[in-house]
Amino acid sequence: MIELRKVSLKYGDREILKNISLTIKDNAIKAILGPSGVGKSTILKLMLGLIKPNSGQIIVDGTDITSMTETSLYAIRRKMGMVFQGNALFDSMTISENLGFFLRENMKLPEKEVNRRVTEQIQFAGLEGYEEQLPESLSGGMRRRVAIGRAMIFKPHMILFDEPTAGLDPVSSKKILSLISSLRNDNNLGAVIVTHIIDDVFNVADSVAVLYKGEIIFDDSTEKLHKATHPFIRSILSDKILEL
Amino acid sequence: MSTQHLPARALELIRIFQEKLILELKVFFFTMQEFFWFSTRAFVAIPKAKRYWRDVLDQAKICGADSLPIVMVSAISIGALLAIEVGNLLEDFGAKTMLGRSTSISVIRELGPLLMGLMLSARFGSRNGAELGAMQISEQIDALRAFGTDPIAKLVTPRLVAALIMFLPLTALSDFAGLHSAAYMAEHYHRLDPGIFWNSVYPRLAPRDFVVGFLKAPVFAIIITLVSCFNGFSAKGGTAGVGRSTIKGIVVSSGLVLIANFFVSKLVLENM
Repeated sequence: MIELRKVSLKYGDREILKNISLTIKDNAIKAILGPSGVGKSTILKLMLGLIKPNSGQIIVDGTDITSMTETSLYAIRRKMGMVFQGNALFDSMTISENLGFFLRENMKLPEKEVNRRVTEQIQFAGLEGYEEQLPESLSGGMRRRVAIGRAMIFKPHMILFDEPTAGLDPVSSKKILSLISSLRNDNNLGAVIVTHIIDDVFNVADSVAVLYKGEIIFDDSTEKLHKATHPFIRSILSDKILEL
Repeated sequence: MSTQHLPARALELIRIFQEKLILELKVFFFTMQEFFWFSTRAFVAIPKAKRYWRDVLDQAKICGADSLPIVMVSAISIGALLAIEVGNLLEDFGAKTMLGRSTSISVIRELGPLLMGLMLSARFGSRNGAELGAMQISEQIDALRAFGTDPIAKLVTPRLVAALIMFLPLTALSDFAGLHSAAYMAEHYHRLDPGIFWNSVYPRLAPRDFVVGFLKAPVFAIIITLVSCFNGFSAKGGTAGVGRSTIKGIVVSSGLVLIANFFVSKLVLENM
């Protein structure tokens, strides 16, 4: 379980997050919805300890990671897999090297086990035949599936998705969303999805938090979002895609 | 505008200048602090370099074998030019037989290592800045951190170790090429017997001449690698940001190479 308790963050004079509190339960999919540039991706980076808040606490499985050192954070980070908005695949490595990199790097598993897991993820992502290709030769949807496979390969408790369908065509988006649903349904994993596309929320999420002007203005189940009265939520429900 | 307003306006301008100066100083000292921690972490991770031996070998090829042509070309041209110019000057004093002595000291103590440092700052430093900057912009460095890998140990330390290993033989080869091109020009341009040239080189070279020259290799390796990698890690603002950080890395490391060149020479020559 991940908890953000009264977290605030400033970049210079600009206040990004104002005293926000969030709870993300295991084995559930939580969406964080908000317009572009409002600080949604920042929340994921805070959960991983990649950036530190100015105030407040971030608790991961009962451990306060707010003041932990970079080295001690590595063990915490291995509980979560991250799918970056631009995928962040290592462009000098092949697809199978990208998938196996962190197993070889951090888990010291036997090569046979690494290869088994890589093959498993290749099949899960439907990328058979592309093992030795470089990321640049794949389509956007394929690269996203490799990034999801890389996040899943070391069997984390939770996967964090930064705009998982942004920039993808409708068919690829559908594939990615069904892949995310299967994480909870078939693999019993939890997930956090940061998105500005409201359809993604209704398609996969169990609950949703709406971030607006640095504050959480709604945090409940996706069904209850329809009943919310906040003017911003009413406006996004009618427009569907947030372009504010 | 009345003259009464001038002092008030001047004071206002001074205040704005003061504020900007303080801000710039704060940014400078903050960057220095960041650079210090970055460098410390790169050195502390050196024992982990054996884990990344493939990266060390790759980087050794990039900063060693791949950089050899540009280092040799610059050493040969400067050696030849030095022989022509110094030879012309010595001829006026009837001291052309001292050409070997003067060119060998210049090449071994100063020009060989300095040119190699500047060439590698441009070649190896720019590659580091651009590659790591692109990785930073595309969140690959964040991905390393997110999955529990120390990006400095993985990306910076192998470059540092490779540079520390390769800069010494590159300096030796640069000196060798510079001296031989000078000897060639002495024979063919100044019609100086090769025996006379080399006789004024070898017996007169002192250990301190080699210490000055070869001590610069590891100093330049540290400066070029750490400055270029730090700027790559600090890149922000898209592809234009990668360009800016790469240029900054080359300019700062080249400037520091020139300053370090002076201080290493001064330090060794005053104490040996």
